Amino acid sequence: MSSLPESLREKPLVEGRVSLADLDEHVQSLSETNPPRSWYVAVSITSLVALVGLSTVGYMVSHGIGTMGNNEPVVWGFPIVNFVFWVGIGHAGTLISVILLLYRQRWRNAISRTAEAVTVFAFICAMMFPAIHIGRPWMPHWLLPYPNSRGMWIDFRSPLIWDVFAVFTYFGVSILFWYMGLIPDLASLRGRTKSKVKRAVYGLLSWGWVGDARHWLQYEKAYLILAGLTTTLALSVHSIVSMDFAASILPGWHMTIFPPYFVVGAAFSGFAGVVIVFAFVRTTMKLEGYITMRHMDLLNKMVLFLSCVMTYAYIMEGFTAWYSSNVFDRYIFANYVFGDQWWAGCLTIFCNCVLPQLLWFPKMRRSVPAMVTVAAGVTLGMWFERYTILILSLHRGYLPATWGTFRPTIVDAGILVGSIGIFLTLLLLFLKNMPIIAAWEVKPDIVHYQKDAEVEHA
Amino acid sequence: MRKPAYGVLALFPSADALLKAIPKVKARGYAQLEAYTPYPVHGLDAALGLPESKLGVLVFLMAAFGAVGVFAFEWWANAVNYPLLTGGKNAFTWPAWIPPTLEGSIFLGTFTAALAMLFIFNGLPFFGHPLLQTKTIDEITRDRFALLIVPSGAAFDEADAAAALRAAGGAAVETLPAPSHETPDAAWWTRTALAIAAACAVAGGATAFAIRVFPTVKPMVNMEVQPRLDAQEPDSFFANGRGMRLPPAGTVPRGGTPILAASLDAAGRELIDPLPVTEFVLERGRRQFDRHCAVCHDRLGTGRASLSSVYTAKPADLQSSTMRKIADGSLYWVISQGYNTMPAYAADVSPDDRWAIVRYIRALQRSQDAPERDLK
Ligand code: HEC
Repeated sequence: MSSLPESLREKPLVEGRVSLADLDEHVQSLSETNPPRSWYVAVSITSLVALVGLSTVGYMVSHGIGTMGNNEPVVWGFPIVNFVFWVGIGHAGTLISVILLLYRQRWRNAISRTAEAVTVFAFICAMMFPAIHIGRPWMPHWLLPYPNSRGMWIDFRSPLIWDVFAVFTYFGVSILFWYMGLIPDLASLRGRTKSKVKRAVYGLLSWGWVGDARHWLQYEKAYLILAGLTTTLALSVHSIVSMDFAASILPGWHMTIFPPYFVVGAAFSGFAGVVIVFAFVRTTMKLEGYITMRHMDLLNKMVLFLSCVMTYAYIMEGFTAWYSSNVFDRYIFANYVFGDQWWAGCLTIFCNCVLPQLLWFPKMRRSVPAMVTVAAGVTLGMWFERYTILILSLHRGYLPATWGTFRPTIVDAGILVGSIGIFLTLLLLFLKNMPIIAAWEVKPDIVHYQKDAEVEHA
Repeated sequence: MRKPAYGVLALFPSADALLKAIPKVKARGYAQLEAYTPYPVHGLDAALGLPESKLGVLVFLMAAFGAVGVFAFEWWANAVNYPLLTGGKNAFTWPAWIPPTLEGSIFLGTFTAALAMLFIFNGLPFFGHPLLQTKTIDEITRDRFALLIVPSGAAFDEADAAAALRAAGGAAVETLPAPSHETPDAAWWTRTALAIAAACAVAGGATAFAIRVFPTVKPMVNMEVQPRLDAQEPDSFFANGRGMRLPPAGTVPRGGTPILAASLDAAGRELIDPLPVTEFVLERGRRQFDRHCAVCHDRLGTGRASLSSVYTAKPADLQSSTMRKIADGSLYWVISQGYNTMPAYAADVSPDDRWAIVRYIRALQRSQDAPERDLK
């Protein structure tokens, strides 16, 4: 080990000399002490925003879906743009906790828990949009196959029904994976807390976990199986979402590249979202020792890599349109960047392809302001990408007589902003109340790196 | 006699110390060991001689069951029970059923993996575990590694086991008492049963209330309230105050079949049911009746459907003696033309289906208050 030259030696993922007990002290004490005043300020602002959003939803529901900008020919409008956007944000959590686990990437351990929380909360926001978009949100059971006196069943051949199945499964499994990871940590919270009530609650939630070696054996097996199965989900969910588009015949949508292109886009926006979250969490929660600059650096490399794949996908998409010699396809792509809403397409390309190139410089990958700027740009860019795909395609169909222009309303804006409020509120509550680092996954790392350090000293 | 102890436990400062201790303790003749650690320690399963997990087999079976189950259901629902034909193609459109099949398989597989791991393979929850009664468990879930010698054989000597653990480097040696297996008494069962019953009653009451009230609350009735004129509504736009225009005399709807009877009674005398007596007709009638009529007249025709609490008009009781006596042709006429507040169904139900409904109403009437001879 020590014979390796400095540049080849693995850099530790835990900074400073900490013991296992220190980790619990750092991470889990957060749920026992009162949070700083800034937390209260933040949570009041975000919950206010969430409340405004929910009231807007209430207004929309009681006054009808016409209060939003959706109308012929753009019947999908903002709700579906936002749905695809939030589902995308949710993807990073799964990729980090599942695919990186299968690749035995140790650096995922410290960030997986919070990334999974991001997934769950993003999904809550995402699922709100189809629910309100169906127009009568009190009839969501019509999406499910249940026996009814009409004697009819849902059409399982419809991509929209695939979507229902995919999203519900993904949501359920994300929560399951998240909760399963929490069990050993809840058991150690049970050991820390002084309050009798909390002890009972944590004890119940962890099902009386005692860390028996026989239990760990089954637990790790289950964790691995879950990771394997969830990988197929992570790759299939956004593929299926993309088929809502690709299985139709609209120019600009009817393309075979859509499934992989959507999956990459989802991961891209997800990683950007996670970068923003951690840039704030690690400093405000004083977790720099566990979520180190090396973690941020690796996350930023993922963003950069995915940006390059994204750029390739855009080029391929344009090439396919040109090579198909189909005038409608060609027109749609020209319309993205030269049409009456050219700024949407141009913003997409700038934010997703050009801006992340900054991350080629190691300095940028390790500078918090730079990475937050890039990540915020990517998040914005990915929202506009969905806007471009969805709205700019829908409003220029095959029949020029039906062409129209989409104009969002204040209700659209209110619900979008409100969903951000909901997301941040849930995230803040999580950060305050739950073990935000998967301690049982990081503890072996601490031992591992400390052993290395001892070898070096010897 | 004193209950035999659960075991003798000692703590070790690190995973390595624990791994080194195991062979030493084993060498002293203690074969049955258990270990408790804050995180999964690799190599421990081999040291303790734990068998491989069988979880994978169960998960595979359940995932396969999920896939087959969902696929079979899709096929039954979309090709058999209510065939949906698209573009004149075969109803067995298997490629389009793959995405839900995948989701179903993964859903069942993942939930089996997690739940079976916890509740079947690990036997959790076990709140009676003697470790949970100690303070030691709090150290184990933080940063200590524990080894436990399970008593085996009558000659088990606690002091010797403790010495073996100490010799292997263990500290804070303690004896764990046997888990208390108290069986709940009758009072506990009564209390639990009462609590469950109360919860069910509250949930049931709330559901019943919600089903009654929910569909009548704004905006749930919004589809009713729309800024347009409904049929037969008055409007001041035209001089005669009607919202609808009268069709020119002799107008016949496209594709519609005019009824060649002048009145309800005339229809009863003149119209004849043209359908054959087959099971298909009755089944067809049942479907059409359930779809179009049951919302108001109830599935048995009693006229007391779930909507009746909010529907101000009173749907006729199709089981009444008048309705039993009325002629088939008159029933056909009511369906086609409507009757007072009862809407006309000519536009929604084809003539043959109307006759099928009439047939089914007759069957419904015969099914209620059946005479003795029908029951034999
Ligand atoms: C929207 C609710 C509604 C639906 C749906 C409905 N009915 Fe009625 N029906 C009524 C009401 C209300 C009356 C009572 C009319 C009256 O006497 O003023 C009635 C009366 C009747 C009568 C008695 C007429 C008479 O001579 O007194 C028959 C027969 C009847 N319905 C059959 C049907 C059949 C068959 C269907 C299905 C095709 C059907 N109804 C669907 C509301 C409904």
